[in-house]
Amino acid sequence: MQPPAPDNVYLPKIAILDRTEDEIADVRTFYWHFDDPAVQTVFKRFRPGQFAQVSVFGVGEFPASLPPSPTEPNLFLTVRKVGSVTAALHQLKLGARFGVRGPYGNGFPMQNYFGQNLVIVAGGIGLIPLRSCIVYALHNHERFRKILLFYGARTPGDLMYLNELPAWQEAPNFECYLTVDRPDQAWSHHVGVAGSLFKKPGVTVPVENTMAFVCGPPIMFRFVIRDLKAMGFEDRNIISTLERYMKCGVGKCGHCCIGLAYVCTDGPVFTYEQIKRLGEDI
Amino acid sequence: MRARVLAKADLLALVDCLCQDYEVIAPFAGRGRDSFFEPVTDQNRSAIRLHLPNPSYPPKRYVFPHIERMLRIHLDDLPHIEPLYDAPKRALFGIRSCDTAGIDHLDRFYLGRDYRDVYYAQLREHLFLVNVVCTDPDLDIDDDCFCMCADTGPAARDHFDLQLMDLGEELLAVAGTPAGEAYFSQPLFKKATPAHVNRRREILAEIRKRFKLATSWYAGTSRLITLKKVSNEIWEQIGNRCLECGGCSYLCPTCTCFTVTERPAGPGDYERVRIWDACALGGFTRMAGGFNPRRAAHDRRNRRFFHKLAHYFIQRDLSVTCVGCGRCIGVCHGAIGMPAVVEILRQASVGSEIHATTGA
Ligand SMILES: Cc1cc2nc3c(=O)[nH]c(=O)nc-3n(C[C@H](O)[C@H](O)[C@H](O)COP(=O)(O)OP(=O)(O)OC[C@H]3O[C@@H](n4cnc5c(N)ncnc54)[C@H](O)[C@@H]3O)c2cc1C
Ligand code: SF4
Ligand code: FES
Repeated sequence: MQPPAPDNVYLPKIAILDRTEDEIADVRTFYWHFDDPAVQTVFKRFRPGQFAQVSVFGVGEFPASLPPSPTEPNLFLTVRKVGSVTAALHQLKLGARFGVRGPYGNGFPMQNYFGQNLVIVAGGIGLIPLRSCIVYALHNHERFRKILLFYGARTPGDLMYLNELPAWQEAPNFECYLTVDRPDQAWSHHVGVAGSLFKKPGVTVPVENTMAFVCGPPIMFRFVIRDLKAMGFEDRNIISTLERYMKCGVGKCGHCCIGLAYVCTDGPVFTYEQIKRLGEDI
Repeated sequence: MRARVLAKADLLALVDCLCQDYEVIAPFAGRGRDSFFEPVTDQNRSAIRLHLPNPSYPPKRYVFPHIERMLRIHLDDLPHIEPLYDAPKRALFGIRSCDTAGIDHLDRFYLGRDYRDVYYAQLREHLFLVNVVCTDPDLDIDDDCFCMCADTGPAARDHFDLQLMDLGEELLAVAGTPAGEAYFSQPLFKKATPAHVNRRREILAEIRKRFKLATSWYAGTSRLITLKKVSNEIWEQIGNRCLECGGCSYLCPTCTCFTVTERPAGPGDYERVRIWDACALGGFTRMAGGFNPRRAAHDRRNRRFFHKLAHYFIQRDLSVTCVGCGRCIGVCHGAIGMPAVVEILRQASVGSEIHATTGA
């Protein structure tokens, strides 16, 4: 569980914006460090799959996944501009101060999967929370069998983190397959929904001794689950992160509940077996 | 039992003692059966009553304010962030047993589990509770009270600092904490005899017979909800009657949900505040971009009763999240307060059981 609570869990810590990088339309990566080095040290103990509450002062606060792996030196967020606070974050200038508190949530129990294959299926910006476990797994690649990434988006312009692929591909046991719904002229990879990659000639998806990670829009999620189940994946070997309206991140505001679970403290990572038992549709 | 007695005429003397140590809040009678909690002043002091209908606007706001300031944000060259705490030493005089149980629930919720809520903790630490036992069948006990079913009243067993009970000529005072017991050193408290304790027992036995609304089939309802035996049509029926006003949650002594927002507070200044929120409201789960996992009103009504009655939450929260105060009955325009929903579920289950046996 979480470390003992500090005095005021709602108090954002001051973060300083160091650098930004545009990913795809409306999605930008924000590199930051904490003003207080002691806060930075404690925060850096986050786990893949955890999230933070991000404040733009005077505007509000929202939850965002932590896409870096704890094995990387830098802290960053990748955020899509959709509403008031995310738009305000996109407006920030380098050197600006904003607020971050966390890390929150359970995260992926990566150590439990040592010795197994990882099948990682991402749709669109669903790659943001999964990036952390990809980079973590690649950093520890000798502890896993095969690490397969299946990544789909609507168009080639909607694929994220592509500039990192060459570095990722240095790991001998990593394979990556890309697909889009609507290709452009330059597109040389697969066309179709994410699940269609599983049947692509030359692709072998391990099922035994394998954990499948799935993150993406609800429709993609449903179809990928169906495909994985058809291949023989057990519900408990499929794992995902859920997204819900959140205000507090610490199990008090009540907004994020799905059935029996508080997504912020019991999740956001759940196995498909757990998702089916929540008692409310996702 | 650490008990004493005091003369009824000394009630205000006790209030005066409390006023030396605390800002004292007490319920006052309004028009008709209206009543409200207000700070005690020299002017209104003499209007303090032992018996009156419990205020609709619940005392939970003294630990979980309707609107609570969390942070002050000053935007200058550098943003300056400062937490705002406002936790005066207060005594809540005349809190009813159901509401005392409500505060106990809030204690477990806000102070327990993974994180401790510092705003709640500070208000709570500074709050002294004087519970008054409901003994007047007309003034204290409303048509809608069902604390007997929720097992919270009419006399709280714990979670108060002091408890007062009307024995006729005298008041029986029970201390629930050392802070409460400390007041027994005041000369107005006299020794309680076994006769007083007997009298207490007799009065309680009698008053328990005077409740008008005595049915609220919790255990059975919990079982139906937990086992998912309630059909979607029944939830739709209940949901169709909900006008989505949120009143039930606002008045509920155990509802804890809030939203957080930032508001301007002068030039370059903002406040981050939290405000009571309600799962009945359409926007409660609506995410940026418009996706709302609980679109239909009945999905949201279902949510409220699921949380209050499902066995899992009873385990998690350590009690049924309903204290039997009856406020939701009074406030709901759709007549779907807790007892009504429990009754709808009971009747539906009777129907389906008959159906199951005859249909076989
Ligand atoms: C665990 C988790 C991780 C997330 N990770 C990322 C990420 O890495 N990158 C990214 O771009 N987005 C992420 N999101 C979604 C992101 O939180 C919303 O897009 C964001 O809250 C929208 O805020 P807004 O103020 O711009 O929109 P508005 O519509 O103005 O929303 C106002 C407020 O409502 C709440 N809210 C609205 N929509 C959501 C939502 N979808 N989820 C949670 N709270 C919401 C927030 O408190 C928000 O500040 C994540 C959501 C969750 C729950
Ligand atoms: S008080 Fe009644 S009408 Fe109002 S939100 Fe609650 S259930 Fe719905
Ligand atoms: S975000 Fe507030 S309870 Fe989960």
